[in-house]
Amino acid sequence: MPRIVRHVLLILLPVVGAFAILPSVYGNQLLLFNFMIFMTLAQGLNIIYGFTGYLPFGYVGFFGAGAYGFSLMVIHLHAPPLIALMVGGSAAVALAVLLTPLFRLSGAYFSIANLAAALAVFQVVSNPNLESVTKGPYGISLSGVFDPALAYGTALAVLAATIGLVIYLRNSHFGMALKAIREDPISASMAGINVVRERVIAWLLSALVAGLAGGVFAWYVSVFYPETVFSVEFTIFAIVFALFGGNATVTGPILGVVILYGIYNAVGISTPQYFQLLYGALIMGLVMFLPNGLASLLQRWGIDVP
Amino acid sequence: MFTYSLLAGLLFGLYFSLIGLGLNLVFGVMRIVNLAHGDFLMLGAFLAFWLFTLFALNPVPAIAIAFLAFAIVGLPLYYLLVPRLLRAKDPEMLSFILFFGLSQVIEAVTTIAFGTSERSIPGDQLGHAVAVVAGFFAGHKVDTGPVELLGQTFPASWVASGVASGCAVLLVYLYLYRTRLGYLTRAVMDNREEAIATGINVHRVSAVAFGIGLGLAAAAGVFAPFMLGSITPAMGAEVTVTSFAVIVIGSLGNPLGTVLGGIVYGISYVFMQSYYSSWANLLPYVLLIAILLVRPSGLLGRRVRRA
Amino acid sequence: MTRLAILAALLASLTTAAVRAADAPAEIKLGTLYASSGRFASISMPVHDGLKLWIDQKNADGGVYVKAFNKKIPLKLIAYDDQSNTATAATLYNQLITQDKVDVLIADSGSVLTSIAVPIARDHKMLLIDQTGTGANFFTPDNPYIALMADPVSSVWPKPLADFLTHDGPGLGIKRVAMLYATNDFTGTQANTVRKLIKESNSGVEIVFDEGVPTETSNYTVLLNNIRASNPDAVLHLGYASNDIAFLRNVQDSGIKFKFLFCIYPGVETELLEKNLGRKALDYVFTYVTSSGMAYKNEFGMSLKEYKDAWQKKYADSKVEFGFNSIAGYTTGLVLEKALSVATSLDQLELRKAIFSLSGNLKTLDGTFELDANGGQIGEFTPVGQFVPGEGDHLKLLTLWPHDLASGKPVYPRP
Repeated sequence: MPRIVRHVLLILLPVVGAFAILPSVYGNQLLLFNFMIFMTLAQGLNIIYGFTGYLPFGYVGFFGAGAYGFSLMVIHLHAPPLIALMVGGSAAVALAVLLTPLFRLSGAYFSIANLAAALAVFQVVSNPNLESVTKGPYGISLSGVFDPALAYGTALAVLAATIGLVIYLRNSHFGMALKAIREDPISASMAGINVVRERVIAWLLSALVAGLAGGVFAWYVSVFYPETVFSVEFTIFAIVFALFGGNATVTGPILGVVILYGIYNAVGISTPQYFQLLYGALIMGLVMFLPNGLASLLQRWGIDVP
Repeated sequence: MFTYSLLAGLLFGLYFSLIGLGLNLVFGVMRIVNLAHGDFLMLGAFLAFWLFTLFALNPVPAIAIAFLAFAIVGLPLYYLLVPRLLRAKDPEMLSFILFFGLSQVIEAVTTIAFGTSERSIPGDQLGHAVAVVAGFFAGHKVDTGPVELLGQTFPASWVASGVASGCAVLLVYLYLYRTRLGYLTRAVMDNREEAIATGINVHRVSAVAFGIGLGLAAAAGVFAPFMLGSITPAMGAEVTVTSFAVIVIGSLGNPLGTVLGGIVYGISYVFMQSYYSSWANLLPYVLLIAILLVRPSGLLGRRVRRA
Repeated sequence: MTRLAILAALLASLTTAAVRAADAPAEIKLGTLYASSGRFASISMPVHDGLKLWIDQKNADGGVYVKAFNKKIPLKLIAYDDQSNTATAATLYNQLITQDKVDVLIADSGSVLTSIAVPIARDHKMLLIDQTGTGANFFTPDNPYIALMADPVSSVWPKPLADFLTHDGPGLGIKRVAMLYATNDFTGTQANTVRKLIKESNSGVEIVFDEGVPTETSNYTVLLNNIRASNPDAVLHLGYASNDIAFLRNVQDSGIKFKFLFCIYPGVETELLEKNLGRKALDYVFTYVTSSGMAYKNEFGMSLKEYKDAWQKKYADSKVEFGFNSIAGYTTGLVLEKALSVATSLDQLELRKAIFSLSGNLKTLDGTFELDANGGQIGEFTPVGQFVPGEGDHLKLLTLWPHDLASGKPVYPRP
């Protein structure tokens, strides 16, 4: 059967199934929800970094934009949650469109500029002068639409869609074109690939994923401060999970999240510093010895990793 | 208020020039993005703090100690991390991630060792030093405490850090333009491949530059408790982004550019704080993005980065 | 025959009592969070240590008397470290409820770390024992699952300060007030209340400088110059302990002398500030007089002196300072103790009823415990006072407002 269907059956269905069933056996739904969010973010980062080689160090900016887009719709326009979620996603995409000029910059400059952009959005959102619009630094409270069960289900849908998207990328011309651009943009454009357009599409898709994740997150927790949804921790975790598992694969980020975030919750939550140490050392080790993640190790042994 | 902002901005900006100097050197020579720069600054600050708390050592000698200690640390660290990195396919991006990992490690270790509470050093410590030096030049005893400049009073520590930054810039300039090693460093900064071809031991030159870069960061860190407020292990990240803004504004590879970049940043920041204080923190990020998009080679630019 | 009946009745009541006692849990599980690091550590650790002191005291005595089971049951504390991180706190609160299945949920200290718990407690229908979170929007009529233990709610707390400025201020020559505050739930709300009360007072006092800065601000040098440029008669700085420390330090370094300077934490955490700044920095500073500086008459639990002695003994070499927050933690314990001794079951709404029944009647070292209809604390209020140099090298805290509690006259302008 076609590869794409095989991937869907092997990866998408089990993951979605697991998260659908687990809440009935494991009480801490918030933890499962966090797993899903990080998995979504890692896949989103995978789209832009794994497939195009640009590392958005300010990835959390889209997450926060989505969260605030959702919240502002609910607070000011009393929109129903699903509509507000669409708006949240669009807010993130709008931000991404605004930042497309950054693609003129090369690697490291792009990353730093992107980080600066995310921090700038955070400063704007949390500014006390904008309190009447964004509630400034005093945080958002969305008690009106509080519905953890529905939010959980929506998060699951977002995760499913994201994994589906990455499976599609892995098996399509578009995905291959992106990888070609990553390897050598000049040769790629000579082969007829519209480098700029493909890259921008990937960028927007990646931002959309983060925006939807942010909106759902806002819905689920319903009380948060600007620094919660703009925390650089989201970017760090997403990068580490994606790096660890392996870029440009579907299973890489999933593996990364399950293993690393799992360990974090089992061990690290009471000793976050030791965990930060471990993560830092892991990043350094990965870069020096295994820059393409765990999946590349499996690939080296001849296993075709989806 | 205008005069105050201008002068305060100048002093504050000079401090950021000092911070950016080390980063500029490292990037210019090795094209490596040292995301851990702010964390080395933090380590220098903690070194000064512990020297003061445990040995009642005035921060002024701590500057020299911090510089030497981290310059020496920088040499083996270079050889450990960089040569392997430069052999990879995309050294710039990978260096980015690698040093990011290093910054996390440094932050974690420091937090485990010292805890996250804020530390600080009493302001009159630098005041003593300034008073001694000023008294020496004035010929009579000078009061410790705030310093008066052009009718505005500033904390003594601000003046001290301004003077120290000026000295550091001068020393770096002398190193680059008057010593043989500095001459070789400039060659490597200009074109690495050609330097290798000419037989220059690029690794040695780079290692020394790296060490100096870290040393400068640590030395700047000694002033951090006075200029930035209390120090915590997590302060490094924000300092790193701001120092990037400074060196990018000023243009890479040019120490004078960093001075200019620092002053531009400092004056803008202090003016923002005086007139629109709640938006002041937005400034470094907006400046950084604006410069990168409008004039990526910086104000004194020579080098252009295009994707 | 009657003897048999009496014996039967006695046996029956004994067995029901035995059965009830057998129903009783082996321990009462108290779940809470604390911040060992980060910006809320300075207010969280003392509260946590105060709570622990109460728990250890009760357990040494065999436990706390629970009326629902008519016996003393020992207490078990399940506590996690949230490191001042709100996202971590949310996960941990959830853990306490869903995995550890605690009987009583106690929030971490401070409005920010409490705010996360409000929807979680409500969703799981658990009563949130709010120790010091005073954000006014926690207490709404549609949420019964919250009660504030120790601090006055922030829409009420700064009233003595505003009253002092508007009543005594003009007489002293105070017309222009500068207010600098940190933008977070706690001090932001305090600033809003002060602003509102001054505006409504029509006393001629006006606010000439009004700025909010991020709570992370640690360098006030330029801001101080801005304040000075507005030529104020009185300066109010509303921030957390770390903000107060940085602010007062910068005031010292820049050599500026304000005629009147008010900060919150010199009164709330006197020892902490003295340790970080030295005694001189607090000279002539105005502040709140909290229960750590004023001995209320206690009808339940230890008195201020007894508690302070117990604290010094237990935490002799701890780095945590004694202050208002350490009293807050202990007060939480006292309220719980009294509530458990009257509650007819451990059901959450039943506990709420028990706690509300104490309102107005419970007098502890922290003052009178009194709740408004939504669970906000309105009983324990803090007068305004001023630190003046005392004998030897000590600071004396004079109470200045309200007048019926005053112990001295304000020193204005500062010498």
